[in-house]
Amino acid sequence: MNEAAFYFIAAGVCVFAVMAVTGRDIFHCALWLAMTLLSVAGIYFYLDAPFLGVIQILVYVGGIITLFVFAIKLTANIGYKSIRQTSKQWALALFITALLLCVLSRVFAAHPWAQTVLNVPAASIAQIGRSLMMNYAVPFEFMSVILLAAMVGAIVIGKDKR
Amino acid sequence: MHIAHFIPLFPFLAFVIDILIGRRLKIASAYIATGACVLSFIFSLKVYQDFSCGAGSYDLGTWLVIAGKPLNFGIIIDPLSIMMLLIVSFIGTFILIYSIGYMHDDPRFSRYFAYISLFMSSMLGLVLADNFILLLIFWEGVGLCSYLLIAFWHERPAAAAAGLKAFVTTRIGDTGFLIGILLLFFTCGTFHFTDLKSVTGPEPLLTIAAILIFMGAMGKSAQFPLHVWLPDAMEGPTAVSALIHAATMVAAGVYLVARCFPLFVAHPIALQTVAVIGGISALMAASMATVNNDIKRVLAYSTISQLGLMMLGLGLGSVSAGTFHLMTHAFFKALLFLCAGSVIHSVGIQDIQKMGGLFSKMKITGTTFCIGTLALAGVPPFAGFWSKDEILLTAWQNHHPVFLILALLTSLLTAFYMARLIFLVLFGTARSQMHPHESPMSMTIPLMVLSIFAFGAGFWGAPIKEGFIEGESHGAGMIMTISTLVSLTGLLTAYLIYVRRITLLPLSVLNSLQGLKTLLINKYYIDEIYDRVLIQPCLRLCRASFDFDSNIVDGLVNAMAFVTQYCSGVIRRSQTGLIQNYLLIQVFGVVLLLIWLLKL
Amino acid sequence: MIPLEYFTLLSAFLFCVGIYGALTRRNVIGILISIELILNAANINLVAFNKYLGTKDALGQIFSLFVIAIAAAASVVGLVLIIAIYRNAKTLFTDGLTLMKD
Repeated sequence: MNEAAFYFIAAGVCVFAVMAVTGRDIFHCALWLAMTLLSVAGIYFYLDAPFLGVIQILVYVGGIITLFVFAIKLTANIGYKSIRQTSKQWALALFITALLLCVLSRVFAAHPWAQTVLNVPAASIAQIGRSLMMNYAVPFEFMSVILLAAMVGAIVIGKDKR
Repeated sequence: MHIAHFIPLFPFLAFVIDILIGRRLKIASAYIATGACVLSFIFSLKVYQDFSCGAGSYDLGTWLVIAGKPLNFGIIIDPLSIMMLLIVSFIGTFILIYSIGYMHDDPRFSRYFAYISLFMSSMLGLVLADNFILLLIFWEGVGLCSYLLIAFWHERPAAAAAGLKAFVTTRIGDTGFLIGILLLFFTCGTFHFTDLKSVTGPEPLLTIAAILIFMGAMGKSAQFPLHVWLPDAMEGPTAVSALIHAATMVAAGVYLVARCFPLFVAHPIALQTVAVIGGISALMAASMATVNNDIKRVLAYSTISQLGLMMLGLGLGSVSAGTFHLMTHAFFKALLFLCAGSVIHSVGIQDIQKMGGLFSKMKITGTTFCIGTLALAGVPPFAGFWSKDEILLTAWQNHHPVFLILALLTSLLTAFYMARLIFLVLFGTARSQMHPHESPMSMTIPLMVLSIFAFGAGFWGAPIKEGFIEGESHGAGMIMTISTLVSLTGLLTAYLIYVRRITLLPLSVLNSLQGLKTLLINKYYIDEIYDRVLIQPCLRLCRASFDFDSNIVDGLVNAMAFVTQYCSGVIRRSQTGLIQNYLLIQVFGVVLLLIWLLKL
Repeated sequence: MIPLEYFTLLSAFLFCVGIYGALTRRNVIGILISIELILNAANINLVAFNKYLGTKDALGQIFSLFVIAIAAAASVVGLVLIIAIYRNAKTLFTDGLTLMKD
């Protein structure tokens, strides 16, 4: 049952991702991306990381996808289906990416991973919060600075010069 | 520092001022040039006055040391250089005054005076130089000024071509001159004129050096076969023709031979060459002058002829004869050219067949013209008579009957063509519409002053040549009589032919002379021969070289450029400017690196 | 139980799809979408390693959180840049944006 759920979600991830990068309508692509991200959130739930799954849905699907849709709508006239969305080097790119996939698969398959699953209890939200605020407080603060900088930068760049 | 050092300096300063701010000075530029020339003349007089205690060589300092031998900035003061200084600065002064009137309306008025000043400076320096190198510098200086002034009206193609011709032709002589100087230096190790008396060295080399030095003189003094530039040089302003191409610069060749005379005397073959070339030039040019119809060209051929006579005098071994004729000739030839300039200024044409009857309208010019003619024709007691007589006497005394006859023939022709010139120009009836008028004061005053000297320089010259003169000797009276008779015959013949219009010879003889006349009018076809033999092959070589250069040399370069361009065009395609192209290559590189690093 | 390799393979596939998209999309927004996929591929790996290889105080999850935050910041800046480019060049197609060449 559990395994079937994984295969189902993983298939969703793969299919949606492929749709997201090959679709003709950029708006649809954004929606396919949202589906992909939801599926990845499912993977997180499956891997006993419910907090991350929720964050994924909240931040990505709720925030970033919304931003994408805004951007697409602001630059509206280029999203039509009639316009070719893939460049001429797609065949070469496909070949190289396939090669890359082969390389990565061989690496992952060949590596002697620990076969026994450690019976680590799933980290609770409280645990995560504690380690974020204690052990990883400094990176956490840096992260907030980066977010602030991105926000200010976005405002400056996006401001209409006229 | 001798006062003579200042003499070339004044005209040079005038040149600097005129060339830099002459345009703003307008007429004042002429006064500056003339004033500088007057100062030079006064200083020359002073040098003449102090001569008795000041002869010799004066160094300003060492310039170069070549092969252990010092080369000085030196000047030489002796009768020869003093005579030249006086002639050049004196005639130069009057020609500058004359030019103020003659060039009055010219748009490049101040430029003209700048060039003339530079010429005066170079010429005075040339005369003073006490070694070959310094002389050569000033020699080239006068050559440059000559070129600039012949081509002064460079808008006229003929003037530009004449300037070029003069420059290139004299350049041939100058090349010989330079080689001669170097040959002399490497055989006997001196550049200084004062050492020439005592040079010793391998005989044939020194003779060749002397002949090569004479080549320079041939170019500058327009002697056969390098005489072709002088008639064409008449495209320049007439005052320039008078100053440069009659009185001073062309005399530089004669001066050079006189200056190096010890060298020539020591090598009889070289001296013979001088005499032969001089004789040929004298007769040849005189014969060409008899048929020419351009007032200035007749005088130009006359100049060549008279310079030839001077060379003949020198070549016969008498410095005094040659330089004395140089002096008198400078006066009356300058006078004649200025008269011609005055005529041209007045009527605006140069063809003597179209003139006539100008005497009544231009009294001063006419009178002075006649005085100049008599002086040149050698009628006693005018200046030309005395100096020409010296040359004839030298030929007689040294037992050279061929040269004596040559000189007498030249003398006959001279009298003939000069008489023809004035009869056609001044007397008879006008043969075309002309409105002659007397020239302004600034032009007539120099004419009058110079005519006094054309008349009297023969007597005045005597004290100057004290340094050279030999005692009167047997045959002098006879030569004088013959010379006078010859001159008068020439004048009379011209009178009969051109005024009385009498046919002297039977028609059959005249007809047979027609061929000779054609030959003379075409200047012995020398220009054509040069063109065929020298210029055309040279041009063909140039064209062939040009083709080689433009097709093969340039072709190679162009081919290299094309290959580079083509290759870069190919390589350039990789630079698409599309970031995804670059990214693709980058990813490919990463994949390759992964494969290699993980040893897959 | 699903072996760890399956997750890594899923992640590799997602990564390659993202790379492919970044290499081929003509639209700049499409490239940004592809970059999000790549980041998610990384996240799957981190979370899977956290579960299977076991770490102290859920380090993999915290790392993923940071990645998500970075991704958010990157998307914000990226999208604003896209709008700025569009405003100037009136296009978002990469083959129209060849300033590096011209």
